[in-house]
Amino acid sequence: MSQDIATIRVTRYRPEKDVKPYFQEYKVPYRQDMVVLDALNYIKAEIDGSLTYRWSCRMGVCGSCGANIDGEPKLTCASFLHDFKGRTITVEPIANFPVIKDLVVDMEDFMEKLVKIKPWIIREKETPPEQGEYKQSAKELERYSQFSSCINCMLCYAACPIYGLNEKFLGPAATALAYRYIEDSRDQGKEVRFPIVHEMEGAWECTLVGECSVVCPKGVDPMLAIQKTKILGATNAIKSLLMPRGGR
Amino acid sequence: MEDNKRYPELRRRLSPGWWTANRHYTMYMVREWTSLFVALYSLIFIYGLSLWAMGSRADFLNFLKNPAIVGFSLIALVFTMYHAATWFYLLGAISPVKIGRSRTKPWQALVLNLILLVIVSYLAIWLLVLR
Amino acid sequence: MKAETHKVARLHAMLWGIFSLGGMIAAFLLPVLIYMTAIAYPFSLWPFSGSRDPSFLVTGHLLGALFIFVTIAGSLYHGIFRFQSALTEVGLLKYRRALEAVGYFIIFVGIIVLTYYLVTWYLNGTIT
Repeated sequence: MSQDIATIRVTRYRPEKDVKPYFQEYKVPYRQDMVVLDALNYIKAEIDGSLTYRWSCRMGVCGSCGANIDGEPKLTCASFLHDFKGRTITVEPIANFPVIKDLVVDMEDFMEKLVKIKPWIIREKETPPEQGEYKQSAKELERYSQFSSCINCMLCYAACPIYGLNEKFLGPAATALAYRYIEDSRDQGKEVRFPIVHEMEGAWECTLVGECSVVCPKGVDPMLAIQKTKILGATNAIKSLLMPRGGR
Repeated sequence: MEDNKRYPELRRRLSPGWWTANRHYTMYMVREWTSLFVALYSLIFIYGLSLWAMGSRADFLNFLKNPAIVGFSLIALVFTMYHAATWFYLLGAISPVKIGRSRTKPWQALVLNLILLVIVSYLAIWLLVLR
Repeated sequence: MKAETHKVARLHAMLWGIFSLGGMIAAFLLPVLIYMTAIAYPFSLWPFSGSRDPSFLVTGHLLGALFIFVTIAGSLYHGIFRFQSALTEVGLLKYRRALEAVGYFIIFVGIIVLTYYLVTWYLNGTIT
């Protein structure tokens, strides 16, 4: 009985040995319920242990396994082999990030941006725990909950050509996360975050390509967050013009 | 951050032709380049007005009737309408309205605003010409 | 960790706001202007089928002058702003400063010249 086979073309790159990356093909047994991550794990376990890639939860919540699959940024754990045309699937590292080895990219730029926007609740004055929790209504939660779904998978950065052309751009995930905190009723850190998202390399670089929201596996819609951030910035600027000493 | 890389990294940057890679990117570039026609039409119209300001109204009207100008204007109109349609779609994408439990979709904003465009256009003609 | 300073790009925020307004103008007002001046008038269609004259383009027609100003100034601003940005995306990012300078210069001169022509037309001149 002949077994169904899929061919996985993977980018290989070992900086100490290779001048340029190249593709290596592996044949894996094909099952209807296989995802690309299963194929990669099969290759590493049974064929070539040197294949290097990131993964962790294998269920789409950790954000580790991003790759460029047949030209599109996707999570390998969430991409079924049967989603793709034909039995040959090309797997490359996600675009716009430097490659360390094989499918592993250098995340440093993204990590810096993540920290830069201070992804935590900032209070002017902390209330002591004895006074109880900060209360928030369902309506207040709704203002930001969509943007809190980000799993930091960086697929949006891989999809964003603006980030690809200009590394200084704050980028979709970081801006969306900043917006998530700006809109959180418990947060009092607008003074801190606005200069970060409203500087030139912040939200303003975005020209609404929209691909970030198309590829986001969690439906965060960073394009929407960036747009709302721009609108906040523009209204603030006009307010400061009309009321130089006035309200916030 | 100090550069403590022990390994050389492969840096890949986008080429100027990045937008040919997939259909979304190409449509985005087309959308952005409609701005060229909007800007050019405005500049050409300003030039036409100069014929009136410096010469006579007849010069301006002849300019408007010039086949080359009419031809360019028609092309500009096609691109302007494409700008309008994509602009309306984007408006829908960035301002979803919550109705009950569901949210409005961008194509709904597109249809609504196209209707609004027809109304505004008629109003403009009424205010400027018919009244 | 080195101290980072971030400055709100307030001017750019306002310029972007005007750009958005220009986009609305180009979407809602430019089509009817082009229709009236490049289709209705040259081909004698409604609303100029009888008179065969673009009646709002006359001396003393305040609404006409205002309509032209808002539509053309808004469209010019929006078009140049966006085109300059589009150019930076096809390989000209390193010339961004120069492109911006040229762009704003064209907008500035264009609007001044537009105003001058409109005022000239609106105030004086005989209908020939």
